[in-house]
Amino acid sequence: MKALFRAELLKQRSTRTGLGLFAAMLGLVVLAVLLHGFGLAAEDLGGTHVQLMVLGRGEFLAALFAALLGAMSITAEIRHGTIRATFLITPRRGRVVAAKVLVSILVGTGFGLVAGAVAVAAGTAALRARGIDLQLDEGDYVLLVVGAAGAAALWAAIGVGVGALARNQVPTLIGICAWLLFVEGLLAGDVADNLGDIGRLLPGAAAAAVSGQDPGTLLVPAVGLVLLVLYAAAAALAGALALSRRDVG
Amino acid sequence: MSERVDERGIPVPPRVGARDPVVTVVSLTKRYGDLVAVDDLTFSLHAGTVTGFLGPNGAGKTTTLRLLLGLAEPTAGEALVFGRRYRELDDPARLVGAVLESSDFHPGRSGRDHLRALALAAQIPPGRVEEVLALVELGAAADRRVKTYSLGMRQRLGLAAALLGDPELLVLDEPANGLDPAGVHWLRRFLRWFAEHGRTVLVSSHMLAEATQTVDQVVIIDRGRQVASGRLDELTERGRTLEDVFLELTGGTA
Repeated sequence: MKALFRAELLKQRSTRTGLGLFAAMLGLVVLAVLLHGFGLAAEDLGGTHVQLMVLGRGEFLAALFAALLGAMSITAEIRHGTIRATFLITPRRGRVVAAKVLVSILVGTGFGLVAGAVAVAAGTAALRARGIDLQLDEGDYVLLVVGAAGAAALWAAIGVGVGALARNQVPTLIGICAWLLFVEGLLAGDVADNLGDIGRLLPGAAAAAVSGQDPGTLLVPAVGLVLLVLYAAAAALAGALALSRRDVG
Repeated sequence: MSERVDERGIPVPPRVGARDPVVTVVSLTKRYGDLVAVDDLTFSLHAGTVTGFLGPNGAGKTTTLRLLLGLAEPTAGEALVFGRRYRELDDPARLVGAVLESSDFHPGRSGRDHLRALALAAQIPPGRVEEVLALVELGAAADRRVKTYSLGMRQRLGLAAALLGDPELLVLDEPANGLDPAGVHWLRRFLRWFAEHGRTVLVSSHMLAEATQTVDQVVIIDRGRQVASGRLDELTERGRTLEDVFLELTGGTA
């Protein structure tokens, strides 16, 4: 397993995909936080909830880009055909998926730590520059950064599972973006009033809960973390099973 | 012959010996819905031989090789390498090397990194990567990204990957595609050398002239069915060329 982990880590490092995703994520974190920090009216930015939301853009974008990275670790192999050589060397395909999950968790953790820290730094700087009092304490900041790391790590694992299930790269990446950017919002929003509060049980909301966003509405961080671990385990397991049973073209 | 038992008295399966077939294909069948891609193939290959797996485009050659290598599951029958299903081999890279497609590389990864990742997964020492790069004469281009490689260079990189584990069986799907005459010559000599050292080659091709110069025996299939198999010199006796035999059997016109 250690050998497979090192092989997957080398695959991750030896193309520019990871670096490209990291750069795109970083640019969007800075853009999103600064747009909110300078774009929203000063009186709206005074409350704890809004400040957590603005600084929480780090968690959101880290989870999204970590999921894309995890998904591409498998869909890129299918797209370029390297999956054949991979499975010839390691015919026990579940082990390949497991190694990809572990490497994606590692890289996702890095994405989350950086995105969380940059969002906190950029957000607090923007608010200070406008003379707005920060309502957050040290615990909030730690949770924003560490929670972003946990959320991104687990979403990276979800990405691997989804990629192994869907296999086709472009639909997989569009599906992940659509889910996090649009579908969860619909299911959690006003159009879904009859659905009760299932919105907070969805994987994107659970990831936001892990970093302490929207307290009172979302789950408490620890429960969000447990729920997200379950989502990640289920996705990875389903992906491994599906990939083990299907023919490789 | 007395059966060997271990210390608990449980019979021990006999070790695969030199006389056992390297490849055993029995009633192998693969259907995709109504389409029968591979239809009841049966053949076996022994060590030290180069076998040409011949047939027109779409005859089921590639599907058969994928079934043999555990990439696809047969609908019926079985394909065994060294007496076992590929997916049950403990350390397949040291037994079997294969090149299936000339394009199976990430375009943004260097040739050397492609091989290093495979070597890591197979727990093959990194020095072997340099050996196979030298063997296929790709050393100078090894740090370039694969997107800059010619088709012939990609074929050689695929072959280098197949040879990483110094395997006993080499499975090649249309390996001569994209090779220039010097490359074809090199490949032919390499495959002969490989078989002369007691190892086994299964090479699919629709290029008959090339096959005649390399292989000892052939398995010819058409529309998924086996239409001939045997030693090349027996099939081509009485002055007939492999092309005559092939066209007659596969319904092409001579």
